Amino acid sequence: MNEIYNPNPKILKTAGKRGARAPSDLWDLGEERTGRFGLYDDPSVADSIDQNEVFDLVRFITDPEHKHMTLEELMVVSAPQCSVSNETNRVQIEFTPTVPHCGMSTVIGLTLRVRLLRALPDRFKVDIRVKPGSHQSENELNKQLNDKERVAAALENSALLTVLEECLEPAQNRVGRCTNQ
Amino acid sequence: MEKMERIIRTWVATQQEAQITEIVAEISGGQITLLNVVQGLGEYLTSDEDDMRSKGVSFLSAMLKKSSSDSFSRQAVRVLTTFYCGKLDDPETILPSLQGLATLVAFPQFTSGDALEVAKAILAHVTMKALTVHPRYAVFSILDTLVSNHRESLKTMGKDFLAGYLNIADGEKDPRNLLLAFSIVRVLLIEFDISSYVESFFDITFCYFPITFRPPPDDPYGITSDQLKEKLLGCLSATPVFGQLGIDLFVEKLTAGSPVTKRDTLRALQVCLPVYGSSTAETNSKKLWNCLRLEIFQPVDVETEDSALSATQALVKTLYDGQDTQIDDVKGFARTTTQECLDILKQPEKSQARHAIKTICTLLSTTSSVSRYVVAKAIPHLVGLFQNPEEIANRDSIVSHLADLTEALRKSPLVVSGEGNLASLKDETLGVFVVALKAFSSRRSALRGLMSMIETGGLITDEELGFIVHSVNEVILDDEDDEETSDTLVGLLTSLSATSAQHITDGTLPLLFIALPDEAPNRDSPIEISKYRRVLQLLERLCVQPILFETLVIRLSAKLDILFSRSGDTEDTEPIAAYAHSLLQTLSRVLVVKVEAEHVDVPKYLELLAIPLYKLFVSSALKRPGGIATNERLLVAAGKVVSSVVRVLPTRRQEEFVKGLFALYWNGVTDVIDIGHNKLPEGGRFTPFESPPLANLVSLLAAAALQLRQEVPLLWDDPNDRLKCVLVWSVNEAQNELQRDSMLHIVASTVNKRVGDLRPFLDEKLPEFWEEYVKNKEVPAAARKNALNAWLWVVKGVLTRGDPRALSLTENVFDLFSDEAINWDAASSIGKIAAPTEVLTKTNYAATKFLAIQKFTNGLLPRLMKNAQGSTDPAVQTAHLFGLSSLIRVIHKATYAHEMPALMPLLLRGLNLPDNEIRAGVIDTLITTTDPSSKDNELVSKYASSLVSVMLKNAKAKDMPSSAVRVAALRYISILPSVVRYDVLHPQKATVIRELSACLDDPRRVVRDEAVYARTKW
Repeated sequence: MNEIYNPNPKILKTAGKRGARAPSDLWDLGEERTGRFGLYDDPSVADSIDQNEVFDLVRFITDPEHKHMTLEELMVVSAPQCSVSNETNRVQIEFTPTVPHCGMSTVIGLTLRVRLLRALPDRFKVDIRVKPGSHQSENELNKQLNDKERVAAALENSALLTVLEECLEPAQNRVGRCTNQ
Repeated sequence: MEKMERIIRTWVATQQEAQITEIVAEISGGQITLLNVVQGLGEYLTSDEDDMRSKGVSFLSAMLKKSSSDSFSRQAVRVLTTFYCGKLDDPETILPSLQGLATLVAFPQFTSGDALEVAKAILAHVTMKALTVHPRYAVFSILDTLVSNHRESLKTMGKDFLAGYLNIADGEKDPRNLLLAFSIVRVLLIEFDISSYVESFFDITFCYFPITFRPPPDDPYGITSDQLKEKLLGCLSATPVFGQLGIDLFVEKLTAGSPVTKRDTLRALQVCLPVYGSSTAETNSKKLWNCLRLEIFQPVDVETEDSALSATQALVKTLYDGQDTQIDDVKGFARTTTQECLDILKQPEKSQARHAIKTICTLLSTTSSVSRYVVAKAIPHLVGLFQNPEEIANRDSIVSHLADLTEALRKSPLVVSGEGNLASLKDETLGVFVVALKAFSSRRSALRGLMSMIETGGLITDEELGFIVHSVNEVILDDEDDEETSDTLVGLLTSLSATSAQHITDGTLPLLFIALPDEAPNRDSPIEISKYRRVLQLLERLCVQPILFETLVIRLSAKLDILFSRSGDTEDTEPIAAYAHSLLQTLSRVLVVKVEAEHVDVPKYLELLAIPLYKLFVSSALKRPGGIATNERLLVAAGKVVSSVVRVLPTRRQEEFVKGLFALYWNGVTDVIDIGHNKLPEGGRFTPFESPPLANLVSLLAAAALQLRQEVPLLWDDPNDRLKCVLVWSVNEAQNELQRDSMLHIVASTVNKRVGDLRPFLDEKLPEFWEEYVKNKEVPAAARKNALNAWLWVVKGVLTRGDPRALSLTENVFDLFSDEAINWDAASSIGKIAAPTEVLTKTNYAATKFLAIQKFTNGLLPRLMKNAQGSTDPAVQTAHLFGLSSLIRVIHKATYAHEMPALMPLLLRGLNLPDNEIRAGVIDTLITTTDPSSKDNELVSKYASSLVSVMLKNAKAKDMPSSAVRVAALRYISILPSVVRYDVLHPQKATVIRELSACLDDPRRVVRDEAVYARTKW
């Protein structure tokens, strides 16, 4: 990283660890509700993968250029930019590079892809694109990020992989923090 | 004399401690003198043989070390000193001589004259580079003692001593010696005139900076790098003459160091700068700031950033120390730095602004003039930005910065002592926060800012508080807020409710009570529901103080009355019950807080709250059997309210009240609840044990009865028969778990507290019950299970107080292991007996004995383990395994840790038992017994492959319906890679990764989260 593309990016105050609030139930059951073998251990109850969950998977990934800031803080990804369809098994993620000439966009896109590759069931087809109009070589980038061969080739590069792992680590070490149970 | 020669000869041959001890005893006893010893040693001390000479001196030194100083005269010490000094030029005797001297110099008889002689001899004869670690250590300890005891006489040696010491200390590497060397140097630097040797002293101290020492794993002296760092820092910061040299070196280390070096350097700067003084700091401030700025604005990590900020703080303190100037006169570093930060803050939304505000906040805790200057510049700057129409989009960042600033001001020690206040800028700041409250995005920061302003002593007047409360009230019901914002909001109001309750009572509470509806909202209006719940949440936090709580009780009781009276008008009573439940929950949660805080007003709520609740439920249940008054959840919530109140009543009142309740429940005598204006309905008799629709209300009886103190006597005339009747009722009549548990809890609690009065029950009635209901095969299986459950609660009561009968009572359970109808229930009841319960706790005044459960477990564990493997009948074997698995998950791991090798295969089998609760328990047990700190767990490694496959089986939704078990299994899988060596797990890796991908598609999100985590761990 010889050149810093954006030394002073804009940042967002994050919504907090807890994410969105759970929808209200009729009863206010407090702890009874979360008990291990309580009401909610019913096998028939299912909560399918939604955009918040996908967002929770990627929000804590850090930026390769600013290792102490997350993609969420830098407003690179946001919940409305993730969309999930359980019927067609598609996940679409759109991300916004902090500046239009950002050379790190490919790396960010790759981290997103690797994270989802590891954390989503394989029935999903994942599409990663930059937000239209947010990058000067938008088409080139989108093509590169959704080309299986090129992604695989990039992951063979051990130097690149090290950078990816570093960025992924904060996201991977958060377990169960974002559950809305 | 002969004896002594013999001792010396033996020692020279064998070098045993025993001889030394013997000699020392003789000397202190006065039988022999030092002279005798020296005579005895004569031939050795002067021997031509190197080895003999060395041993002779060694003997003398070893003896000296063991003796107490009283055994030697002044003369003897003098002689010995001269003797040892003379031996220093002999390479064979130098080590023992130094060791001898090391002991000698600490003696009180040792004079300054001797000190000079020793110092000179050492400087003259000792060549450190030629010596090994041990003699060098002796040299340093001698010098250390001399420097601390005979400093003045050493000073007379002047330059000779300093030059000599520099020679000795040069090039030392051993950490133990360095610790001593650093202490010596610190004294020299402070007390001696080192002006001619500044550079040399600089060289022998700063060459060690930064310390990179890492203690070897088997270091016998246990020296840590932190000790060394501390000592060295003492030297670096000992004298201002190091100033320029030191700072140059620090700057160099800062520009080209690893993060650890950087942190050490920053810490050193923090300590050294005040010593080096303001003029050195002044000359170098630019150079230093260039380095510090880099660490602050492009931090490697948070720790380094904090150290850099502290170093900046030290720099400013040093620069402006003692200058009490007017604001306009603050010049130089603080001025330019503040200006630089404010320039960066012109773009408040950018990431650099965060660092800038941090720097500014740091400056607030330096000197009062700087602090006042910074406040006077920064606050108007931020306020101006806030008011600038072009910056409206960035208002939340600006407010957040301003809040950081007020928070830092509150924490600043200067403000505590009344200086550097923001009093003159209070109105502007307050204005910004109040405006910022209205916008959702900046609300949290605004609340934070207001909070810190309120907490700053003497800043906010009472009138202004009223204004703040008023402004907060305006947004209090805004349900756009996320949880953290509303937490902050409630936190602010709560802290006010403790100090100035009036503003809350007048302004906030009426608003909240009005917002509570009289009627329960429909089930299809979630917004209304979440609104009342939010109001209740606020009330719960606000109404803890006695005066506020009283209002809360009155208002909420009134709502409850209305809800109950109208519950008959509609078909769908569930929303009403849910609303009433929320009201009761609120009351009970506040009461819990109050009881914990030992508020004295709680007992009076027996009449004001608890009894009216009984009356409400009883009369409503009589009027409308099956109505909301018999709703289980509602009764549980009401029960919690009652428990909290009854718990704190004095013994006498408890006795009276519960006796009245017993009369009500068993005999229908309503006196106890017949208070107040409203009469109970005529006609209907309250007989909960006989009329099934009313039976749920027994839970309210239990709520009070469990809280009885041990001193309260038994309240029945016929306790032994009555308890058995209750057991039988729980088997035959009780319709649900609530009823059964309530009554069994009463039995357990009674047995536990008054076991002495209940001998006939335990000795006769209980065995009768066992024969009639549990053992009796003619009774239907379901009833037998209930009876077993009833019986185990009695055992729990006995066990908790540490009564040995618990074990003999448990024996009975084993008889059922071959009884197919209930063998598994019998087995798992062993775990249930030992499981901790909230019923029998100290807060409920239960008689508890330390380690009672442990003793009980130790009695059962070996037998369960033996039969779970060895029993011939497979059903009995499984029953034992069941019992073992159920027991193991409820007891502390210390109880069975030593048995783990034998337990492991059993637990693995336990994971196939057809009971999900037990399986999850077993996995939890496995998790707690795995030591996460060690990478090489032999036991886990041994079973790794079977553990992996059985856990994977339990982790998949299609094989395992319980999500709790799936979560537990995935947790176990995720810890495996950190406790077992990779080479052991490698063969499994591909399988695990593949199988886990199925878990990523689990229907439940909690499970998916665990699966994602586990998969990344592999």
